[in-house]
Amino acid sequence: MSREAGSIEQQYGIPTVAVAGENVVPFGIGANVSYNTGMPIRYAAVPFPFSGQKLEVLRRYIEGNDLVSGKPLMQALVDGLTKPLTADERSSGTPSQAKAEPRLLPADTEDNLHRLFQANHWTDFNPIILPTEERVAAMLRGTSHQPDEIVKTAAGTLGANRPFTVEKVAIIAVMAGARPEHLPVILALATLVPYQDSTTSIANMVVVNGPIRNEIGMNSGLGALGPNAEANAVIGRAMTLIHKVIQGYQEGVTGFASLSNPLRYNNLTMAENEEALPPGWVPFHVQVGFKPEDSVVTVFSGWNFVNSAGWVEQHYAPQQLMRDYMRALPGHGSATILLDPSVAELLRNAQGFANKAALGEWLARNVEVTAATFWGNSIVSSMIGPLADQGLEPYATWRKESPETLIQPYPNAGNIRAVVVGGNSASVWFVTDFRPGRGASIDAWR
Amino acid sequence: MMRRRLVSLGLLAAALLSGAGLSSGGAAAAAEPARITVLNPAVTAQFADRVPLAPRLDTLDGKTLYLVDTNWGGFGNNDLLLKEMQAWFATNLPRVTTVLKVKQGNFVTDDPALWREIAEARADGVIIGVAG
Repeated sequence: MSREAGSIEQQYGIPTVAVAGENVVPFGIGANVSYNTGMPIRYAAVPFPFSGQKLEVLRRYIEGNDLVSGKPLMQALVDGLTKPLTADERSSGTPSQAKAEPRLLPADTEDNLHRLFQANHWTDFNPIILPTEERVAAMLRGTSHQPDEIVKTAAGTLGANRPFTVEKVAIIAVMAGARPEHLPVILALATLVPYQDSTTSIANMVVVNGPIRNEIGMNSGLGALGPNAEANAVIGRAMTLIHKVIQGYQEGVTGFASLSNPLRYNNLTMAENEEALPPGWVPFHVQVGFKPEDSVVTVFSGWNFVNSAGWVEQHYAPQQLMRDYMRALPGHGSATILLDPSVAELLRNAQGFANKAALGEWLARNVEVTAATFWGNSIVSSMIGPLADQGLEPYATWRKESPETLIQPYPNAGNIRAVVVGGNSASVWFVTDFRPGRGASIDAWR
Repeated sequence: MMRRRLVSLGLLAAALLSGAGLSSGGAAAAAEPARITVLNPAVTAQFADRVPLAPRLDTLDGKTLYLVDTNWGGFGNNDLLLKEMQAWFATNLPRVTTVLKVKQGNFVTDDPALWREIAEARADGVIIGVAG
């Protein structure tokens, strides 16, 4: 909202006041001004929660006080439009920059350094490996790139400028317990910052494809989603540390995830079991345009992760149970199925799905929810609802349907994807609402 | 036998004292833990260039305000709150004209056409909301 208010103020010179819930205003008047907009938009705050309240509660908000100034809310809005600007609000140009971070920290004992890393949130609060010069130098042998090469600049929340180097990523890799051979994957992962954040419990999922999986010992087979392989563990952990240290994510300062998500400890880091794909089923990275010999990392984001629990049986086809369980996902139009190779083989040979796309097409045709359920989720109503109200089909039609009408909430079958992973010891699967971002080349960072 | 037992106890005591970092001759300063140097993981964040706010109004009397719904949060609540604000102005500052507008797209999309429309309508001020 700061961006919209800023456009009106800056382009057209029209004074503007923004109103938001008390849960997000600290970002709007804090870090967002310092690092993103540079414009100290005047905010007034109403209590949280705002959404979901009845009209009489909203009326009390109008009659109550602004939680920024402490004045009556409506008076605060009038003041926001009429009180003369302060010197700070009139200031322009480049502010004096924060002190540059030194390359080395002052020498100290290991115990004190661990305490310092914790105090600065340079940790996931599991023990980290301290990045000594020797360890970082050894890590840097995992890439041909120079330590001082800038990996990315727009790395902070909402693209704030936080330029970081190859050496910074190597430091993170050491802290996470990685080996030099893992570094190209971690560097590629670092190019994908800023990662998705939300006040909701959004999480991320890392999928690695291509030859590097086997070169560095990633587990795509038995126990692939569990704590069973060094490479999967440390790459996933490195992503968490990149998020916190490089992106600068800190709860209550640059992010406000009310519950957050336990998946953020390891970010569901996996490699696709490409060797176990049935004929006709291609790896995920090939589906999105890479060559089979490319090594690629893709970050997916989503909220939900529903487990089949049991295995596939003859009396109820796996795609039918996937369909049933997908009804529990918010129908924002994307889903990713994680399935054991045995399930992929059954889907192909027993059910006739010649490829992953055919499975997506069947699910898109057969997953149905009521219009009430579809619109009931606020991710859907806030992201898709306005588009429906503006006439975009099929949403505009669905918006007019009676609450009991069944709709098919995946209008684009291509947005239902499959990743084959697991060890052929049970025909199990997960349905998730994760959707992929752009893949990053790992080869570019070797 | 008794003498041998006393010798053994003496050796044990010496070993325990030694293990505790003390000499059998009395207390001595504990060895200082080693200090090491490590690299700093922190990234230098760059401040955004400052942009001044637009000048404020002298008064709202006789002015036109646009109330802009950002489409945050699904159906209903933004609309309800902004309509309540509109009613407040009608009751408490009746010489202020208010116009309610809904932004095109969802809450993460920009709507430059609406900002242009507001400017061309010579709006005096904007209240935009609500997020949270």
